[in-house]
Amino acid sequence: MTSKPPWMALAVGAAAIGGYYFLPSRGQSIAYVVIGVGSLGCFLAGVRLNVPDRLRLGWYVFAAGFALEVVGDAVGSFYELFLNREPPTPGLTDVLYLGGYPFLVVGAILLVQRVRNTLNHTVLYDTLAVFLAVTLVQWVFFIDRYNHAGVTDRGVRLVDMAYPAMDVILLVALGQLLVRYARNFAFQSLLVGVGLLVAADEIYAMKTLSYGTPRWLDLFYLGSYVALGVAALDASAGKIEPVVVGDVPRLARGRLALRGAALLTPPGVLLAEEAAGHRVHMSIGIFGVAIALVVMLRFVELFRDADRARAAEAAVRRESETAQQLLAVQNQRLRELDTLKDEFLSSVSHELRTPLTSIQGYVELLREDEGNAMKRGYLDIIERNSERLLGLVADVLFAARVLEGQLRFEFQPVDVGMLAHQAVEEARPRATRAGIELMSHDGAALQVDGEPARLSQLLDNLVSNAIKFTPSGGRVEVRTSGAEGFVRIEVSDTGVGLSAADRDHLFERFFRSQTALERQIQGTGLGLYISRAIVEAHGGRIGVTSVEGEGTTFLVELPARA
Amino acid sequence: MNDRPYVICADDDRDILSLVALRLERSGFDVATANDGEEALELARARRPVVVVLDVMMPRLNGVELVKTLRADAALGDVKIILLSARAQDTDVARGLDAGADAYLVKPFKYTELAEEIERLTA
Repeated sequence: MTSKPPWMALAVGAAAIGGYYFLPSRGQSIAYVVIGVGSLGCFLAGVRLNVPDRLRLGWYVFAAGFALEVVGDAVGSFYELFLNREPPTPGLTDVLYLGGYPFLVVGAILLVQRVRNTLNHTVLYDTLAVFLAVTLVQWVFFIDRYNHAGVTDRGVRLVDMAYPAMDVILLVALGQLLVRYARNFAFQSLLVGVGLLVAADEIYAMKTLSYGTPRWLDLFYLGSYVALGVAALDASAGKIEPVVVGDVPRLARGRLALRGAALLTPPGVLLAEEAAGHRVHMSIGIFGVAIALVVMLRFVELFRDADRARAAEAAVRRESETAQQLLAVQNQRLRELDTLKDEFLSSVSHELRTPLTSIQGYVELLREDEGNAMKRGYLDIIERNSERLLGLVADVLFAARVLEGQLRFEFQPVDVGMLAHQAVEEARPRATRAGIELMSHDGAALQVDGEPARLSQLLDNLVSNAIKFTPSGGRVEVRTSGAEGFVRIEVSDTGVGLSAADRDHLFERFFRSQTALERQIQGTGLGLYISRAIVEAHGGRIGVTSVEGEGTTFLVELPARA
Repeated sequence: MNDRPYVICADDDRDILSLVALRLERSGFDVATANDGEEALELARARRPVVVVLDVMMPRLNGVELVKTLRADAALGDVKIILLSARAQDTDVARGLDAGADAYLVKPFKYTELAEEIERLTA
């Protein structure tokens, strides 16, 4: 969600600062306090408006520091307006100003903790390095100079030195804000506010030594107030959220530059002091050693992190290798099981066929020798049933292979018309026995690419089914024709027909239609399952239309030979 | 010794072996029977047959191995061989024919099928 930054408040603040410079001295004293109080009011109102309860602590601590600064201003103005003199130094104003700094710093750090709420080693070491470098600069250029400036009053000297000293921590807070930079208006405005405050203090520290505070410096202080007030007024103040960063140890370029700058500060300061002809401080050496130590600690940390990451990576790699080996073993076992199952199917087939061979062979022999017609009839029955058993064995094994996806066909040009004719002629004795009229209508040469044995099996299945489900006196017709790249086979009967519910499941494995069960028509429920598998293996399709009580038509379409 | 064509049958299933032998004798062949591949090989080496009818799954020396042995034999390399097996898959048939068998019949078989094959091979 994006909302407009509080441009209005910013504009009013800017106008007030502009107006400030057109006022007479006494008016300026009042306006200065008014702008400060107004900004503080905006800040508090903004916090109440935009920042959720749980995040308010940092903002309020910061506001306390802000308030102390504004009260300090008010006390100063009071002296100017009513006592017609500058406030005494050291005095109440100094206590208020200097007392406000710790609150500003702690508040800023609390705010920043929201941005990245883990205080890890990286942040700690980097902050320490920056802190040491800033302190060194501050000490040499801003604080220590008061010792040699000829200010005789000890209290005045201490207070003058306290401001740049406070700026050290404020600068560190500013550094924290910069390091954890968040991309939203409230944060940016806060940064500008703290930045202006630090800059104003630094300039003030330098100027007081030379020729007093210039009026233009008020622009910095007042600008800082307005920026802080506006920061809290923006809706994004409640959303200074943690920035997501990876945990991988890395050498971020910005941080590297920061550490480099910290390391280079002591020699830089040394050179500057040397050039200015000042006495060289021992403090430069001490700070140099401290900064180098901190940066080194940071690098040790970095290398340790890298080692840890490498070790973790190696562990993961070992784990994945183990998993791969396990997978390979399991695959091997699966392949073995597959082979075992294949072998089992073959054995079962072999073991079932072997006794059937003897039965059929001896029955055949007996029947040839048998003179008694009645006994020959019995032998016919045995033969017919062993045939059925053999068909069943073949169907079960075939269905098992379909299920395994192991059907392997060798295609050759086949005349479907001729196969249909053969299937009809083979079925004719059965049809005649059942009192059914069997007719075939063959089209012209109808060539497909297929396996003759399987297509014969398909035709035989369909014709046998039609005969099985047609009562005596009925008719079964087999019609083959060619059309639009397809060879069509229609097998229709005037049988019992199928219900809609049965039609839906007809081609499923082991499915038996209700009529088949009611009329106790024999079958395993494999015929049509196998038929569909054969048709699909030939790239064709099979369907059925039926009217209950009137008959059924199976329609097969196979792609014609190109 | 007689002038009837000499045929060797090998099968570890004695019922089937008797059936095939009986059928072939009735058809006018001189038939010797073996219960395994080794026996069949000995018989063939003792007297060269016109045709051998072999089961595939036999102990000691199986049908396919026997076919290879016979084909590699200088004296018996061109003997006609029919494999007769309950192993009915395409791969089984292909393995038998690749080994050098002249024909592969799947059990159960009609005797007329076997008779036709023998006639075709000995013509």
